[in-house]
Amino acid sequence: MSLVNVFPLQQLKFYELVSLLPLFILSFGGLFSLLVGTHKEKGHELGFLTSFFTLVLALVFGCNNLFTTDVTLLSGTLVLSPFTKSVSLMVMCFALVAVVLTYGQDKKENLLPEIYGLILFSTAGMIMMMSTTHLLFMFIALEIMSLAIYVMVSMRRSSRFSAEAGLKYFILGGLASAFFLYGSSLVFGATGSFELVTIENYLMANNNPTFIYFIGLGLIVVAMLFKVGAVPFHGWLPDVYQGASTNVTGFMGAAVKFTAFVAFALIAKHMIFVPNVAGLSWFKSFIWLVSAASMIYGNFVAISQHELKRMLAFSTIAHTGYLLLGLYTMNEGTTASQSIILYLFFYALSNLGAFAVIALFEEKNQKDLTIEQIAGMGMKHPVLGGFLTIFLLSMAGIPLTSGFIGKYGLFSSAVNGGEIPLVVIAVLTSVVSVYYYLRVIVYLYMKEATADGAVYQGLKGAAFAAFFSAAATLQFGLFPKAIIQFVKLLAR
Amino acid sequence: METTSTLLSWIIFSPLLFGIIILLMPSSLEKYSRTVALVQTIFNSLLAVIMYMNFDGLSANYQMVHFIPWLPDWGINYVIGIDGISLPLVMLTAFVGPVAILGTWPAEGVTLKKEKFFVFLLTCLQTGMYGTFLAADLFLFYFFWEVVLIPMFFLIGIWGGKERIYATVKFFLYTMVGSLLMLVAIFFLLKTSVGPNGIPTALMTDLALLRFDFNDTTLWSALTSPQTLLFLAFSLAFVIKVPMVPFHTWLPDAHVQAPTIGSVFLAAVLLKLGTYGLMRIAIPFFPQAAYYFSTMFIIFGVIGIIYGAFCALAQTDFKKLVAYSSVSHMGYIMVGLFSFQKIAIAGSLYQMINHGISAGGLFLVVGFLYERLHTRNLEEFGGLAKVVPVMAIAFMIMTLSSVALPGSNGFVGEFPILLGAFQVQPIYVLLAGTGVILGAVYALKAYQLVMLGPKTRKDLDHLHDLNVREVIAMCILTLFVFGIGFFPRSFFGKSDATLNTYSNSLIDKVGLYESR
Repeated sequence: MSLVNVFPLQQLKFYELVSLLPLFILSFGGLFSLLVGTHKEKGHELGFLTSFFTLVLALVFGCNNLFTTDVTLLSGTLVLSPFTKSVSLMVMCFALVAVVLTYGQDKKENLLPEIYGLILFSTAGMIMMMSTTHLLFMFIALEIMSLAIYVMVSMRRSSRFSAEAGLKYFILGGLASAFFLYGSSLVFGATGSFELVTIENYLMANNNPTFIYFIGLGLIVVAMLFKVGAVPFHGWLPDVYQGASTNVTGFMGAAVKFTAFVAFALIAKHMIFVPNVAGLSWFKSFIWLVSAASMIYGNFVAISQHELKRMLAFSTIAHTGYLLLGLYTMNEGTTASQSIILYLFFYALSNLGAFAVIALFEEKNQKDLTIEQIAGMGMKHPVLGGFLTIFLLSMAGIPLTSGFIGKYGLFSSAVNGGEIPLVVIAVLTSVVSVYYYLRVIVYLYMKEATADGAVYQGLKGAAFAAFFSAAATLQFGLFPKAIIQFVKLLAR
Repeated sequence: METTSTLLSWIIFSPLLFGIIILLMPSSLEKYSRTVALVQTIFNSLLAVIMYMNFDGLSANYQMVHFIPWLPDWGINYVIGIDGISLPLVMLTAFVGPVAILGTWPAEGVTLKKEKFFVFLLTCLQTGMYGTFLAADLFLFYFFWEVVLIPMFFLIGIWGGKERIYATVKFFLYTMVGSLLMLVAIFFLLKTSVGPNGIPTALMTDLALLRFDFNDTTLWSALTSPQTLLFLAFSLAFVIKVPMVPFHTWLPDAHVQAPTIGSVFLAAVLLKLGTYGLMRIAIPFFPQAAYYFSTMFIIFGVIGIIYGAFCALAQTDFKKLVAYSSVSHMGYIMVGLFSFQKIAIAGSLYQMINHGISAGGLFLVVGFLYERLHTRNLEEFGGLAKVVPVMAIAFMIMTLSSVALPGSNGFVGEFPILLGAFQVQPIYVLLAGTGVILGAVYALKAYQLVMLGPKTRKDLDHLHDLNVREVIAMCILTLFVFGIGFFPRSFFGKSDATLNTYSNSLIDKVGLYESR
């Protein structure tokens, strides 16, 4: 009897290794970037270069074997299908933009070179989180992602707001993680599995799961709503957005939101949108309510904000509401999940771009850029003003920009799913959102610059990130055919 | 639909191309950006004339179609075409362009701030307007409809008067409320149009064939019918743009604050987007609901005519007077469209063009006066006819066109509307008819206060008369005023076939065979 029969060892086949490569590259690249970041004088530059090329390499490998056979590893915990691989690609794109955005901003804000490694680690965590259907593994991935983010948020050492934000985020985030873990254990107790697919099959077979299942599910849903920043679990969001260094805020608003939403959609698909289970209709109504509340609260509170990052934080709550509307209609048809991905992708790009422009005008240690400070900036710096206008119009969902295409897809799939009342709420609240986005544009172009106005900081990285995001926003707004077909291919 | 010509795409996008050229010009050449814009508008008018020549007036279908798959998975394509309804409106846009640029040329030595950006926005605005009139795909129509907002927002907001920010944000938000509800209605339309292959169609000719439930047994059942809800969602977007009382309050603000050229485009073309939308989409797509609510819209139209006229009468601000006269004149179009009478519908289309010419001309006159005297207060003018005779003549012609004197273009529009609508709604039309009289009262009062009577200020003696550019601009408009006034068929003849088919099918759809 050979040893293998007694103690079967996992064996990694070559094609499995190839599919895992982006993840490996990211993890080792992260370590390497930490290492080179310790260089005394050139730490920042070396860290930037390492992480940049790591991401490029990971993207190239990721693109190359996008449509190979599905790979399932660790007895089903890690699934690398075209879908998970391409959402990973999208997250790596955001990370790449964030790395570029960080270059220059790191020295301005006294961030340590370790931030590059942390971006790579959290990206690896995000990829794992979206590639699994196993609740425990998802928890671990969530923690890998979040721990890196906590550090990044509090890394702006010379600013006390950053420490406050980091601590707040850490404590509340830890609580959410605990909710998630405890909820998973209760779900395990009720259904006997951590596997989402097994749980779904269990529910199909038993239409009346024990009450424990609902408590567990409730805890998980609360944790996920916390991570995506939906009302009433949004309290941390404005402070963290303001306190963190702007490049980190941009990365959070794009990548963390994307990941958390994709994971939440997976959980909802398998654990909530199961037909014929009576108690689950409560959860559907709950999502309806949270969606409406997020749209209304986010948009109306954003009106009264005078600080840009804080305004964008509230607007991101509203966008979470729109996305939850898409999620709510996900059980009605297949188009909703495609629309969610499209919307998230477009929104993340404009969000990154908007924060890049803010980083370009923000002074060192400034808590937030006020709207009055950017008065007249559109005339002084026509290109950057144009970029910011594009991003804001995109978030407001006005044609020419990708945000319109995203919103069109999301709302039309919701109408197709028969959810017209919520769409009408969404549409009317987005008129409100147009008001506060426009107000920024009004200040940019139609008011005179003041004496204490913002000063252009001349960061090459942020300027390039803004340029890239603006180009993508316009490109996908005018010629979205390719990406729509790509996303359609995935959701098949 | 098959591509038969790319001319229309050239018409839509050549302004944008010129705009990008202007934007890329080095700043040493910035002073020539207006000249480039003039070249662009003339080039566009030439293209439009070529289009007019090639247009087959005997066909009621879309012509010169250009088809490019855009978002085939969502059933959305770039489809543009022209028929008898959009033809006059495109021609109007094409001719208002050079007139507006010539008529608002800044005086010697006056440089506008950010001249390049200003001219760029003008070109973008034209692209948006052409696109809205030419779109044969509902999504594309919505796309351009919204795009028009952005340049106008900046034009009013950056180069406007004192209250410009309030005015421009109000303008944007008003339009946005309507158009987002329209967007929901578009989703619903497309959902219904899903074909056997699972892909919807956004082509307007296909969508016009859809029929939605309409139950008019009681008022409540009529109100809650799908057709009514869709009709109201679309028409809300359009009547805000028209603007129909009580959704008109953005218009005086926007007009008064906008720079002259913005006002000219706003009055001459942008308002027509609303009536064009009603004519193209809201009424033919949902004919029963439109017919059911037609009396209501006619009443609102009549209120608009009379209310607008009285408001105009009470103004001391010349520009506001012209703005309210727009509210009044657009009311006729509402009355004509909702009378479901062949002749009145044709009259509405003519009135769209005629109002474009007369209101555009009047705003130009306001601009001439403001540029010379820096006031728009009617009480600060007086006795100018002796000082500036050419301007007085031009102003007189535009006033007569505006009051619909027989022989001017205004008559060609308003008379058929009143004639046609009288056969179905005699009382309301009688009331609307008083609007013609009131129109004469306020327009002539304005003329009298500005041009006749004693002079109120000493510096009026040194006023310059119109220069060559301004004379050319007014001459072009005058040509159209009398040309359309005396020979309307030469201008609108090519629309006959389309209008005929349009009204026949509309009357068919609502089941009005008797005596019409």
